[in-house]
Amino acid sequence: MIEKKQNPVVRALLYVLLIVLTMITLLPLVWMLSASLKLDSEVFTIPIKWIPETFHWDNYLRVWQKIPFGLFTFNSAKLTVIITIIQVFTCSFAAYGFTKCHFRGRDTLFLCYVATIAIPWQIYMLPQYSMMQKFGLVDTHLGYIMLQAFAAFGVFLLRQFYQSIPNELLEAARIDGLSEYGIYGRIVLPLSKPALTTLTIFTFVTVWNDFMGPMIYFNSESNKTIPLGIRMFLGQYSTSYELIMAASVLSLIPIFLLYVPCQRFFVQGIATSGLKG
Amino acid sequence: MKMKRIAALGVSAMMAASVLTACGGPGSSTPASTPASGSTGGSTGEEITLKVATWDNTSNPSVQNAVDAFMAANPNIKVELMDIPSADYTTKLTTMLNGGADMDAFFVKDADTTKSLADKGQLADLTEYISADGVDLAAYNGLAENFNYDGKQYGLPARTDYYVMFYNKDMFDAKGMEYPSNDWTWADFEEMAKQLTGDGKYGAFIHTWQACVMNWAVQDGKHTIMDYETGYDFFKPYYEMVLRMQDEGSIQSYGELKSANIHYSGPFAQGTVGMMPMGTWYMATIIEAVKNGESTVNWGVATIPHPEGVEAGWTVGSATPMCINANTDKKDAAWELVKFVTGEEGAAEYAKVGAIPGRADDAAIAEIAAMEGMPEGTAEALKVTNISLDRPIVDKVADVNQMLGEQHSLIMLEQDTIDNVLASMAEQAEAIING
Amino acid sequence: MTTQKTQKKAKGLSLNTRNTLVGMTFILPNFIGFLTFTLVPVVFSFILSFMKWDGFNEMQFVAFNNFAKIFKDPNFRNSLVLTLEYTVFTVLFSMAAALSLAILLNNKLRFVNFFRSAIFFPYVASIVAVGCVWKAMFMKNGGVVNALLGVFLPDSALPGWLADVDWALPAVIIVSVWKNMGYFMIIYLAALQDIPYSLYEAAEIDGATKWQQFRRITFPMLTPSHFFVLMMLIINSFKVFDLIFMLTEGGPGTATQLLSMYIYNKSFISWDYGVASAAAMILFLIVGGITLIQFRVEKKFNDFM
Repeated sequence: MIEKKQNPVVRALLYVLLIVLTMITLLPLVWMLSASLKLDSEVFTIPIKWIPETFHWDNYLRVWQKIPFGLFTFNSAKLTVIITIIQVFTCSFAAYGFTKCHFRGRDTLFLCYVATIAIPWQIYMLPQYSMMQKFGLVDTHLGYIMLQAFAAFGVFLLRQFYQSIPNELLEAARIDGLSEYGIYGRIVLPLSKPALTTLTIFTFVTVWNDFMGPMIYFNSESNKTIPLGIRMFLGQYSTSYELIMAASVLSLIPIFLLYVPCQRFFVQGIATSGLKG
Repeated sequence: MKMKRIAALGVSAMMAASVLTACGGPGSSTPASTPASGSTGGSTGEEITLKVATWDNTSNPSVQNAVDAFMAANPNIKVELMDIPSADYTTKLTTMLNGGADMDAFFVKDADTTKSLADKGQLADLTEYISADGVDLAAYNGLAENFNYDGKQYGLPARTDYYVMFYNKDMFDAKGMEYPSNDWTWADFEEMAKQLTGDGKYGAFIHTWQACVMNWAVQDGKHTIMDYETGYDFFKPYYEMVLRMQDEGSIQSYGELKSANIHYSGPFAQGTVGMMPMGTWYMATIIEAVKNGESTVNWGVATIPHPEGVEAGWTVGSATPMCINANTDKKDAAWELVKFVTGEEGAAEYAKVGAIPGRADDAAIAEIAAMEGMPEGTAEALKVTNISLDRPIVDKVADVNQMLGEQHSLIMLEQDTIDNVLASMAEQAEAIING
Repeated sequence: MTTQKTQKKAKGLSLNTRNTLVGMTFILPNFIGFLTFTLVPVVFSFILSFMKWDGFNEMQFVAFNNFAKIFKDPNFRNSLVLTLEYTVFTVLFSMAAALSLAILLNNKLRFVNFFRSAIFFPYVASIVAVGCVWKAMFMKNGGVVNALLGVFLPDSALPGWLADVDWALPAVIIVSVWKNMGYFMIIYLAALQDIPYSLYEAAEIDGATKWQQFRRITFPMLTPSHFFVLMMLIINSFKVFDLIFMLTEGGPGTATQLLSMYIYNKSFISWDYGVASAAAMILFLIVGGITLIQFRVEKKFNDFM
């Protein structure tokens, strides 16, 4: 932190700049919120009315009436939490293996991981689907969890971070008689909090907002998630933008509730574990 | 495992038996499966579950109603509808069929892809069922032929939709103008749109789909969107018309419609446009909107205008076929469903909610026209003499259509001249078709 | 000490095997899942790039035909160029935005948590809704973006954004920078807090200006983060799909038809999985090449440190 006392004028300018930047960034989200309280016919009027003439709070009620929003939220939350946990745990384990253990074929294996990162999902969606069908995992939460939980990206990300952990540190621990598992648990894991946090946010948001995966894999109403629900309002026969916006606002709330209290921890947790200092 | 299979076999054998009895019934094409299936249910208690793919099920009750009626008539067959968002329907259907998904029957959203599906061997051949059950293909007004390739029938048209003109009666009244007749030309349309424009209202609404311009060029049945050899010059008069209307302000511009995410159902229901050429599927939507108070528009419907020199009553449209997955092991039960939905009972359910069934006859049209909320004169407007296909059912039509859509936006946004874009369309279409 | 040495000697022969085993136990939990659910389908799609396949029937081996086909296809070349353009600008602007915001928000300020949350939020918003909103904001007449620009620019100079072949891609880039900068800001923010304050104090004593401090201390100290952010942005930019799909569907014309969109069309409209896989292979080669270069550079940098 830069703790030097600043010139009050500079400070004031800094606030103005920040407020302007924040306003620009939040503009589309304010737009979303305002549209969620309008009639369908008022959503895209020119020029924009930022404050609706009458507040249609019933839009939020209609979202619950038209789709089983509670169920979808539960499904989204369940999948997101499970996948994030598996992802963070197995990826950090694997990334340690790829950085700090030495064995033959290690780099070749890792190349396989990197190779898949560059391939868009649309390309292997089809063979993957056939396989899942044979396993009987289509239209199950388990199947979707299996698909998402072992994404190569997490390993790639954590390996990048682990490489910055000095090997001398681990060597010293080895000399002290700590096993590889001990080193991982007692030294690397605490040190990699920032990386784990980065991966957690990334996985959480990706799964929470994922549309294509659930669209392809879930058929039953009881398995569907929020993004699918939102997409249902964008139909061939009619489109309800006010409901899309209301549902999107609703889907932001859980993330908001999670993010705000954890926010301090995110940045501080990262800060306390200085690696190179 | 084995037990189940044997039981399933038993049921299908019984199903076949019920089919045979149905055929024995003189002069009736309705399945007499009701009594037979009653006994099946009683003796084995084994249920068959069919999985059927459809789209936008919540806003389109016809499929659900037909399926419910089917289940009521066949208590031993349960039908599970998989509701898929319309924009992703083709993607998901392709993945499911290729991936060997557990799906027995489905509707094809873009009828022009039916042939490709059949060529790939993904559709069950229905010819034998049809002849065994004596289904009269003539009842489909020629639509069934679109799904017949090399003498094999791969699907039956469940519903058909074609373009008609929706108009706002109040706006015509306010200008003291007469409502459109069922015999009018596109020039008449353009002129009326001009007169109706004013007071913040648009005379007409042309939706952003390329179909809403190109369809009028294939309406005469002489050309299809695959005729690149002509340099696509038959599109030109209609692009010129629409651009003129856009410049004069009698329609809202393509750019605005796109960026404001305007769905065609909005402006018409809000009463801000005078006329809108749109598919017959919109009738059910607007009736519903008026009924539940979302819209107060006083609407009417007329036959689509025709090009100069073409008879009145020629329109453009397509059919929605119902097909059976070639890989299903419940073909017999699936056929029962297809037969029912595309048959008389299914047709009646479709007509009840304002959807035109594939086997629509005068009686069905009359029933739709008599629906509560349907304006006067609907029966006459819906009576058409020829429906040209919007997209021909041939190879590569999906690719060509995709390319035309991309190019369409260039003309409508006036990013290039019509002549340049048409030339580019022809060049690309040739590469796609011969490449 | 002596006991340890003997221990090592006793197991010395099998050290290699043991290392492999230990390494394997770390990797296996993830690798098994990865192998089954991702690697196998991906390898399959590699093979596909040398085949002709409609997704359902028997495949035919066609060697390099698919590659010859795509390089002849002007649409493919167009999408390759667009993808490169998109990636270069998205990466540059996102990094610049994220870094400046992180430096700004690293100051001790009131409501700093509010500002950080606000900037982060676009990252979590649903893409369907965000797509609709930005489309409306980019409207040529009456859209918010042009209304703001109209303060500084004459009406005739206002761009048509998504409705203009030249401005559609920049518009998409703006949205993606807006959406991504919050996440990368958090990463930079964390790294900034790791820079020892004493470095700045020393620089202050030497009379270094703020700009010099940034150039000589902040920027180089963030190098590991730069590498990471760069890599993530490049990979994500090459694969971007949802955003384009919601904003422009590749249009107007093919002005925003990036590679992922091209691949999608080839798979799901043309049902030509061989060609689609060949296009994906090209994408893979590019990203793979960049990754390798990045690894080399990073290694050099690490050795140098």
